[in-house]
Amino acid sequence: MRYEIRVDGHLSEPLIKVFPELDHVTMSGQTLLFGHVVDEAHLYGLLARCQSLGLRILELRQAPE
Amino acid sequence: MTVLEGDGTSEEPLADPHGDPFLRTRFAVPARPVTYLRRERLNRHLDEALRTPLTMVNGSAGAGKTLLVADWVERLDGLPVAWLTTEAAGDGPGMFWAYLLRALRTAGVALPADIGFPADANRVSPALQARLAAQLSVREEPVVVVLDEFDRVTAPEIAEQLEFVLRHAGPGLRLVLVTRTEPLLPLHRYRAAGELTEIRGAELAFTAPEAARLMELHGLRLPPAAVRALVERTRGWAAGLRLSALAAGQSPDAEACLKEFEADRSAIADFLLAEVLKRQNAETQDLLLRAGLLDRFCPDLADALTGRTDAAPILERLSRDNAFVEHLGHGLYRLHPLFAEILRAHLRLRLPGLEPELHRRAADWLRRAGRLTEALGHGAAADDWEFTAGALVDDLAIGQFFTGPRSDAVTGLFARMGAGSTGPAPELVRAADRLARCEIDDGLTHLRRARHDLAEDDGTAAARLSCALLEALAARLSGAPERAEDAAREAQELRNEVPAELLERHPELTALLLDHLGSARLWAGRFEEARDALSTVADSAPEAATALPREDALGRLALIDHLDGWPGRAERKAHAALAETERFGLPQPSGSGVERLVLAAVAIDRDELGQAQALLDTSADAHPAMRDPVLAAGRALTTARLHLARGEPGSALKAVEPQLAAAAVSPWARGQSALVAAAAHLAEGRTDTAASLLRDVSDEQPACAVGAARVRLATGRAADAVRLLDRTHPERHAGPAVAVRAALVRAQAADEAGDAVAARRLVVRALAEARRERLRRPFREAGPWIRPHLGSASLHWLTTGWLAPGTGATPHTQPPPPVVEELSGREHDVLRRLALAMSTEEIAADLYVSVNTVKTHLKSVYRKLSVNRRNEAVRRARELDLL
Repeated sequence: MRYEIRVDGHLSEPLIKVFPELDHVTMSGQTLLFGHVVDEAHLYGLLARCQSLGLRILELRQAPE
Repeated sequence: MTVLEGDGTSEEPLADPHGDPFLRTRFAVPARPVTYLRRERLNRHLDEALRTPLTMVNGSAGAGKTLLVADWVERLDGLPVAWLTTEAAGDGPGMFWAYLLRALRTAGVALPADIGFPADANRVSPALQARLAAQLSVREEPVVVVLDEFDRVTAPEIAEQLEFVLRHAGPGLRLVLVTRTEPLLPLHRYRAAGELTEIRGAELAFTAPEAARLMELHGLRLPPAAVRALVERTRGWAAGLRLSALAAGQSPDAEACLKEFEADRSAIADFLLAEVLKRQNAETQDLLLRAGLLDRFCPDLADALTGRTDAAPILERLSRDNAFVEHLGHGLYRLHPLFAEILRAHLRLRLPGLEPELHRRAADWLRRAGRLTEALGHGAAADDWEFTAGALVDDLAIGQFFTGPRSDAVTGLFARMGAGSTGPAPELVRAADRLARCEIDDGLTHLRRARHDLAEDDGTAAARLSCALLEALAARLSGAPERAEDAAREAQELRNEVPAELLERHPELTALLLDHLGSARLWAGRFEEARDALSTVADSAPEAATALPREDALGRLALIDHLDGWPGRAERKAHAALAETERFGLPQPSGSGVERLVLAAVAIDRDELGQAQALLDTSADAHPAMRDPVLAAGRALTTARLHLARGEPGSALKAVEPQLAAAAVSPWARGQSALVAAAAHLAEGRTDTAASLLRDVSDEQPACAVGAARVRLATGRAADAVRLLDRTHPERHAGPAVAVRAALVRAQAADEAGDAVAARRLVVRALAEARRERLRRPFREAGPWIRPHLGSASLHWLTTGWLAPGTGATPHTQPPPPVVEELSGREHDVLRRLALAMSTEEIAADLYVSVNTVKTHLKSVYRKLSVNRRNEAVRRARELDLL
């Protein structure tokens, strides 16, 4: 499964490193994290990681393969 | 250092189910910083919490939830407040409830000692919740229970259990959940009923005027436009505002700093934390980065991570400045979880590769401080398994693989240990892990390696003692009593070399060792020696850590009584074993479940076959570490006996068939199997097979002697049967279950010889002995010759109430006689007066007891007679000749 997680704000390098399994692009005050998500457990883990870092999730969607 | 609970005055447990002392800081209401801004609109809304059973304060990390509730509860005059900061995610229900009970007691809520205590970190008895709810429901004033960081509670059953208590505690409990995520409680139901007070993120957000006041508390006076912009940028997020104030306060031009923040497009927490961090001096930055790996810590532990000695003043200053660090009291600090997370991200980037080393240092320090659980956690995080396994073994904590409390946690922890770690400790841990799953061959392989390594480097006494414990377990599981004796002897010698304090801290080690030894002796048929070892375990002080071996030992003592023919004693011990599991909330069935097998066997002797089946069914899942040959034989025999009682000899033969893989032969298991098989062959008319089966069995076992006598009787050798009984006298060496059967063999022999008087005398003797124990089965299996005796009117007084239907009809023409429990003397008194048409009040006055007591007696009379009203009871009692 490929997912895109759009979070508010630009992420610093240390924070980007918290998501080593995802790619990212930065655009107009938002960061798009995207990549392959193994399963639901992984997905919820990613969401929890966002929450524990105080990131605001703006959008979450499954991307076409 | 950890702050320990000190007031050991009551029976309350001082340690949690992991065996670690309770952390008092988890019950402390967090202190508000001097810069805390009280917002009356939120406090007023929170006042509603006293009127609704459930309150939820819900918002993102750093939204100010905890401080709001902490401030509110401090101003609740007189009401008891139990505060509990939920621990790291993954804690099981056992831990949760143990801490919640402790929090209630800390808040001064009186709870009786018999409310129970979870012995298993991952499970809890439903009865505990019922008792707690009942206790709370009778309170005159409510207790406010605050569960902070409830989002860390991830086990769905905890939410369910909480909901149960909340629903049944009524107005005695006001529950306040402080959480980042929606809890799994059925909130919609509470909301619809108006029973939920809800404060969510939007309401927690600071308004512009509030933000202005907050800035003033930080010594910043900002123009309204700047405040508005700040609120907009942070969306009123409390942590964001606080960090902005800190960053601006430390910069020469506060307004310019805030402008920069406004213009920046970084994620807020990320940006602000970096801003505040970079304004700290190098030592402080270094300390913060490293301490991000710790949960709660004291300056000394932080120093261990930095390799310097400046943590105390730095932490004090940081907590005073309210930057990242909060002081929990008692010299303990912790980082705000949000910042800890971001700091860890910074650590990985700035000091790459240092993380494992820091975990190792923390583990080392914690181990020296005696905080084993935390030390194991950091050791595992460092991926240093020689250290982690060594810490467990040298602490003598290897028994935790087996005894409920920490078994799941320990097993889970070491599941990550790779095959690469070698040495005695990792091998011992692997052996324990395999044996705890009853994988005997694998366990023995690792045990051999451990022993080899220990011989080479002459390991610690604790390691060698752990090895002896596992040897005893392996011996027990493979039915090798001599090896168990050797291991126990070795352990006994090693005990003197191990610090007494370690042995005291781990009572489960001694209990397990003796339980293994006792069970191996039981297998060997050495009942007296088995009883010695098992009684020591059963009589040891009730503690959560030893709940499992104590239950198992009681169950096995019950089995010995059963094998000796004492059903009443066996039943009492089996019930004590069950009570043990109930009290400590062990899963049902837990342990070996041997007590259920014993109860099933007793039920079969009493001809309560449905009950026996139910007990057998529920004892199916035994703890793998207790699945020894004793248990397997016990199960096979009980199952076979049940088939026999149901008239299914073929199934009985099949059930008793599987020969167990055991190193040594068990005389009783062999004798009893032969007995059951012979009875089955007899039932199918194969008398020769039956006779040959019993020929090899020693007559020294009373039950076998009686069985052999029965076979002789069945093959027409009555005199021979009596001679055998006269020679071996099984009655003298065993309890009623054997004696009654022996008397019946003699009675049948007399009956066949035409000596009706002697037969009758012997039947009377059998009945008299059987009545107390309600042993019905021997009479059912005796054969048709006994019917005239049982039916005779002169024996009514011996059979009514438990054996005969009362009318003297034979079992063939009537439905099976009702299984009636005997009435007590008092119940008889009540019943007799009932028959005189006296009212409940009159009976009470007549017997000098209260009306309620009479009602209680009536209820049990109804139950025993299976009726619902008084005239039915009288009619039934007349039918049964009870009046």
